[in-house]
Amino acid sequence: MSVEDHLTCNVGRMRRERLARLRHHMAAQDVAVVLLLHDPHIAYASGHVGPAVDTTHAVHQRSVAIIGQEGPVHLFADRPSPDLAAEIHPPVFPELDESMADLAEAIGMAIEPSNAGRLAIDEMTGAMLRSGLLDGFDLVDAGRILGPARLVKTVDELACIDRAQRINEVAMEEVRTACLPGVRRSELAGLFISRVRQLGVDDVLIDPIFQPMPRNLSDGPRTSTDHVAFPTGVEDPLFNEKYLVWVDTGIGVEGYASDYGRTWVVGRDPSSAEQDLFRRWSTVMEASLAAIVPGATLAEVGRAATGAERGAIPWLPHFYLAHGLGVESAEMPMVGTDLGEGFDEQFVLEAGMVLVLEPVVWEDGVGGYRAEEVVAITDTGWRPLGGWPGYLPFES
Amino acid sequence: MTSELVAARRRRVLDAMSEREVDALVLGRQDNVGYSTGMARLWTSGTRPFGAGCVLIAETQRTHLLSSWDAGIPESVPFDDLYPLTWNPEVMASSMAAIGGLSTARRIGVDACSPGFIRATARFAPTAQIVPCDDLMASVRTVKFAEEIELVRSACRVVWSGVEAVLDRPDAPTPIANAVVAMAALGATVPSSEPVVRSEGDTTVVDLGVMVDLYEGGVGGRFVDGQRECAPALVDACRDGATHDDLAGSSTGPWLVRGLGMGYETPVIDAQRGQGLTLMAGMVLSVTDGDHRDVVAVTSGQPEVLSAPPYPTDRPAGSRA
Repeated sequence: MSVEDHLTCNVGRMRRERLARLRHHMAAQDVAVVLLLHDPHIAYASGHVGPAVDTTHAVHQRSVAIIGQEGPVHLFADRPSPDLAAEIHPPVFPELDESMADLAEAIGMAIEPSNAGRLAIDEMTGAMLRSGLLDGFDLVDAGRILGPARLVKTVDELACIDRAQRINEVAMEEVRTACLPGVRRSELAGLFISRVRQLGVDDVLIDPIFQPMPRNLSDGPRTSTDHVAFPTGVEDPLFNEKYLVWVDTGIGVEGYASDYGRTWVVGRDPSSAEQDLFRRWSTVMEASLAAIVPGATLAEVGRAATGAERGAIPWLPHFYLAHGLGVESAEMPMVGTDLGEGFDEQFVLEAGMVLVLEPVVWEDGVGGYRAEEVVAITDTGWRPLGGWPGYLPFES
Repeated sequence: MTSELVAARRRRVLDAMSEREVDALVLGRQDNVGYSTGMARLWTSGTRPFGAGCVLIAETQRTHLLSSWDAGIPESVPFDDLYPLTWNPEVMASSMAAIGGLSTARRIGVDACSPGFIRATARFAPTAQIVPCDDLMASVRTVKFAEEIELVRSACRVVWSGVEAVLDRPDAPTPIANAVVAMAALGATVPSSEPVVRSEGDTTVVDLGVMVDLYEGGVGGRFVDGQRECAPALVDACRDGATHDDLAGSSTGPWLVRGLGMGYETPVIDAQRGQGLTLMAGMVLSVTDGDHRDVVAVTSGQPEVLSAPPYPTDRPAGSRA
């Protein structure tokens, strides 16, 4: 099964439009220069997407992007794509004390040294703190610039998410048929990663989650919310027929994340009680989707979901009912977090925003059903991102 | 990994805090958190924004961890010493304020930082000075315990299963996918570095790295008929007291000698970097010269190669070789 190619995005246009948004927010907040060390931020600002490697490798070999109010984006990276609309420089290594002179010179490329002003930055290394490199700047978190810039996606960003999601779905629908008694989590994960590679994607952004869930909350790990622990990402269970398994995987296309979540059973059909859970989940999903329209608040979406469960909260309380998706796998807007109802009441959906809805319906003694679907807000409502391949072996 | 190893690593961290007069240590880097506590957390690729993943307090000798559950949490950390995942900076500030000994700390060490964290600290610990402690963690981690060396050796063995899978079918359309499946069969599903497989005539060039039980393994080389080309002189040059000049003089191609343990570590030495550094016994290093990569433990004599093939070297790798 191939993934259709018409979802390719205009990468050059996407990079130009993102940079314009970033600079718009720099100007609005009087930020003279942005210094970026975090991979997704660098991808957004420069187009450079580094390999999906362990965080220690990413840190020690990291790219740096520096953006002034005008002039080129300065990218310091090893082997960047040659077609970037950025001025490419050899890597600087902000972890190392010996690199601080190079980093100071790099900042000087985007701003006059005498004109310190406000500098937005996402991470300061120990070497940067020791060197006094940033003394004299008024420091603010780069999230204040990148956050609002990233909130509304361009058509090309949506195409990247759509494509990533479809590839992710194709691979997972194949892995589902291998989820049988006697298989280990790691085998399914290996199958998924290899299948994704065969479909032409190298970047797997998260260790694939295939987590057998307890039937009773009291049987699971102790939690701060008294709800269920997920995703724990520990142990390598050997699956048997009794299991109800929550799965969650994500890959990257042009730096954009997918997010696939489903509930599976192992080598059998769902019981009628499990099917009932799925029906309840479907009702929550439909109610949530019906509330998604530009101009709606996050609180209205949350209330639609809880209304479908007669007031109970149908999501994991340490997470959310829904979250955004883009260069990171969980970003704003988020519905139902511990930011509180006030936050959700004042946050209004706009066309171009992305939501991953991930309701959870729980019945102690039976267990839980969880799945995720991705939507883009349109001028009149929403449209699906990804192919929405259904919920087998559950059927409504 | 044993609880004794975790305790010994944490002891080193707490002792180093005492030496540096650091009252509280706030760690954001997951490898530093793992070193200090043994905590395993769901792996995600790439950099993570700075956040307080772990807080160690000198006065109480307690470890406080960011987690909403006790799965993956070592028994040495009681549930009451966990603080929950949050999206709300106010909730995080309250969690920090509730950690005994943090708000009264005079010197708070950090392994990285952000403007938001500095502002938050000014509220929950108004008299504290923020002290960079990435170097404290790096120096504590430099010399490995014997058990750490064995964990690296085990991880390297897993990598060899991936190398064999590549050499079994070097002409497969996606040979890396085969390596992934082979390593996953041994339970390893987290890559450390970017995998490399390419063919140059009869030669297959492979470089793979993987994380196993929080420790890294890695192997690279040029293979002809299943036999890896001989190790370059740089591998043998990694001895106690070796300087940048010694290493540079032994290298033949683009080279990199860097710390390896719970991932990519210091020292970092190559043609441009690490001019003043000297190797010492007890270090574990990833040694790359051209396409060859081995992992070695520096000893008082010959380096011990931890990435040696887990079968006799006269047996070619790959069943079809």
